[in-house]
Amino acid sequence: MAIQERVPMREQAPEERIKNFKSVPLGYSPEEAVSEAKRCLQCKNPLCEIGCPVRMKIKDIINYIANEDFKSAFLLSKSDNAVPGITGRVCPQEEQCERKCILGKQQKAINIGKLFAFTADWAQENNVVENIQIEENGKKVAIVGAGPAGITCAVDLRKLGYKVSLFEALHMAGGVLQYGIPAFRLPRDVVDYELSFLEKLGVDVKLNSIVGQNIDFENLRKEYNAIYLATGAGAPKFLGCAGEKLKGVYSANEFLIRVNLMKAYKFPQWDTPIICGDKVGVIGCGNVALDSARCAKRLGAKEVYILYRRTKQHAPARIEEIMHAEEEGVIFKEMVSPCHMTGTDDGWVNGMQLMKTKFEGVDKSGRKRPVKIEDSEHIFELDTVINALGTTPNRLFLSKVTELETYEWGGIKTDNNYMTNMDSVFAGGDALTGGSTVIEAMGNGRDAAKNIDEFLGSK
Amino acid sequence: MEHIITRKEKLNSADFVMDIVAPEVAKKFKPGNFAVLLTIANGERIPMSIERADGDKITMYIKRLGKTSSELDTWKVGDSFHKVIGPMGTAPTLKKFGTVIFASDLVCGHAENSALCRELKKMGGNHVISIQSFPTKDDIYPEKELSKEYADEYILATEDGSVGRKGHYLDIVKEILEERRVDQVFAGGGIPPLQKLSDLTKKYNVPVMTTVRQIMVDATGMCGSCRVFVAGEQKLACIDGPMFDGQKVDWESAISRLAMFKGKEAEAMECYNEKIKELK
Ligand SMILES: Cc1cc2nc3c(=O)[nH]c(=O)nc-3n(C[C@H](O)[C@H](O)[C@H](O)COP(=O)(O)OP(=O)(O)OC[C@H]3O[C@@H](n4cnc5c(N)ncnc54)[C@H](O)[C@@H]3O)c2cc1C
Ligand SMILES: Cc1cc2nc3c(=O)[nH]c(=O)nc-3n(C[C@H](O)[C@H](O)[C@H](O)COP(=O)(O)OP(=O)(O)OC[C@H]3O[C@@H](n4cnc5c(N)ncnc54)[C@H](O)[C@@H]3O)c2cc1C
Ligand code: SF4
Ligand code: SF4
Ligand code: FES
Repeated sequence: MAIQERVPMREQAPEERIKNFKSVPLGYSPEEAVSEAKRCLQCKNPLCEIGCPVRMKIKDIINYIANEDFKSAFLLSKSDNAVPGITGRVCPQEEQCERKCILGKQQKAINIGKLFAFTADWAQENNVVENIQIEENGKKVAIVGAGPAGITCAVDLRKLGYKVSLFEALHMAGGVLQYGIPAFRLPRDVVDYELSFLEKLGVDVKLNSIVGQNIDFENLRKEYNAIYLATGAGAPKFLGCAGEKLKGVYSANEFLIRVNLMKAYKFPQWDTPIICGDKVGVIGCGNVALDSARCAKRLGAKEVYILYRRTKQHAPARIEEIMHAEEEGVIFKEMVSPCHMTGTDDGWVNGMQLMKTKFEGVDKSGRKRPVKIEDSEHIFELDTVINALGTTPNRLFLSKVTELETYEWGGIKTDNNYMTNMDSVFAGGDALTGGSTVIEAMGNGRDAAKNIDEFLGSK
Repeated sequence: MEHIITRKEKLNSADFVMDIVAPEVAKKFKPGNFAVLLTIANGERIPMSIERADGDKITMYIKRLGKTSSELDTWKVGDSFHKVIGPMGTAPTLKKFGTVIFASDLVCGHAENSALCRELKKMGGNHVISIQSFPTKDDIYPEKELSKEYADEYILATEDGSVGRKGHYLDIVKEILEERRVDQVFAGGGIPPLQKLSDLTKKYNVPVMTTVRQIMVDATGMCGSCRVFVAGEQKLACIDGPMFDGQKVDWESAISRLAMFKGKEAEAMECYNEKIKELK
């Protein structure tokens, strides 16, 4: 029997959505969710679960949905994942749970992500919350950084009875979920709702608290039994080439922070401005690059280019993002490598020197290696350049705590138990890995919570 | 914690001073630090130099310029900020230099002038020369807000010569450097004069530390908006600065980048004026 395709996801039409920052997928209706869930074979050996970094009980959750017991589906999903509505929207499912689904690739595999987003939204609409009894154990843990890793570790430790203080540098919790990923991919009411759980649990969220700057790290060490560092990898990398000083050249982080955290798309009702020209070039082809490109479209740019040294088939971005970007008119200029930016007399960027590339051999990770083709330099006219070359660990904290051992590239060193070289100080998330995914960071936070509990329990 | 305004006074027709309750910031303040102000939960994050910390309060000198500062100028004693975050930035290392000059010509520079001279004097072992220049007589701050009392030598100047010495601080620093040995110069305020001052001190082989104001967004080192190029290396004004060795700063790009949002700032101001009109 031919396998039925997945229940299609209704979406805002591309012409419409490039005029707003509202969610692109419109979400399953209960009927659609049930039909999608009913396609699941309820495998004896559910491979999908092996694909999920936090081993969500996918099969059973889907079974509840198929039987219209959305409440049980939601509560079960919450037992392994503090923010299922968020991960359902931003996990690279085609690389994880859905990749392993026995029904096959892409349009065949169960749409696990969207089903989980559905149950989380349903729970929010129907005010379904977990009932958690906490037995206080009197011990205190400080967590630095309220991104996915810090949040997960905070929730797990709080459930175990620890008093948890969560220190966040910015004026909002969420890390990349708040300042990086745009609202058309991850609506902010979803983020706000799933994070409001922290306060309900009794986690003490301390915003505007920059550990190492206005909060003293040594004091934290005295005051708390253990510390978990989840400061992320938010420092932008630059090319280090000529022209980076020009006006109109942004790091993707600046562009996205202005748009997402500071709501520059609502300027001048909101205070922070952004200048996005007509012809925008984004260097790179990961999620960050595509998010920047799609924001630029929504800010009214006429032409938006992704400048990438490989082809989009080899890009690290999620497939859904690439598809959505193409539908929205983002142009992929493949097999080019940036050399430097050119500018006008009054200091605005007006173009980029590019070189063509070709594939030659493979690199360490086994991917085809792009090399520059000699004498292929050419100037490509642009009036805005967004640099999405990746980020490195936030160095403010690291520069203030010199005793902490780090790798040369800035990542924090830990042993297999996520313990750093400093007594009772653990670390995780992007601060350790230099950048991965929301769910990997969460898995990290969860493992660290277990280790911290074992460490403090045995003390 | 409520960040209540406990004092607000006019400094001149555009500048005003505010004392704000911010005990955590006051406790850790070092001269040269700044704070980030959030007027409302959803507002901008505005960097502002700290003039002094006294008990649980900090003092700031603010210029009415664009939308946010104009709005602030309508605030009164008893109003409060959503949040005052700080101290931010890396304060310069102070020591017994010998003869030290602090020169300033603009609001933030004047605040830093007081802050640093006060500290240099307190440390002892320094001969502190403070120079403050204003365009004309009406712009001069009230006497108690000048850094006179913290300096061993104090020079007040106006560009038109209406009060005090005639000229900009640049003219006065040049005179002093010609005449005698100076061990260290500090300066803050308008950016173009800082470039000139850096060239000048280089000629006389005197080290100079300058405040390089740049547009900030997060002020925690995550966006790169405030990047400054020092000795060919990229630094972030919010966490590495804002004070840098002026002789090594790429001033051209600093001046250019500071003006990046000029058009947008005018737009914000227009929108604000419209709103005010409607309210009236
Ligand atoms: C634009 C963008 C799009 C992405 N898209 C996806 C996607 O679609 N799917 C996916 O799975 N992953 C995506 N990622 C990657 C993913 O978001 C990260 O891997 C994940 O957020 C890492 O979590 P974290 O908790 O380690 O760090 P972060 O989310 O970076 O959080 C760290 C937090 O620590 C705070 N902090 C830093 N220093 C201090 C200090 N000294 N004191 C107090 N607080 C501090 C920061 O302000 C921040 O809030 C994306 C990343 C970006 C930038
Ligand atoms: C380290 C530092 C210390 C400062 N200290 C003082 C001070 O003591 N007193 C004072 O009055 N001002 C100070 N400023 C400048 C102050 O932050 C801006 O003047 C203020 O944000 C203006 O806001 P606005 O909406 O009124 O004006 P806008 O119309 O937004 O801007 C007017 C001008 O202010 C500057 N500016 C605007 N936004 C920013 C920003 N986010 N970061 C930096 N500069 C900006 C630009 O040069 C701009 O042209 C300081 C800035 C920095 C970076
Ligand atoms: S957390 Fe991510 S990988 Fe795991 S089941 Fe949910 S969507 Fe799939
Ligand atoms: S592998 Fe696919 S079909 Fe099997 S249980 Fe998981 S989701 Fe259902
Ligand atoms: S203001 Fe963002 S890095 Fe300095």
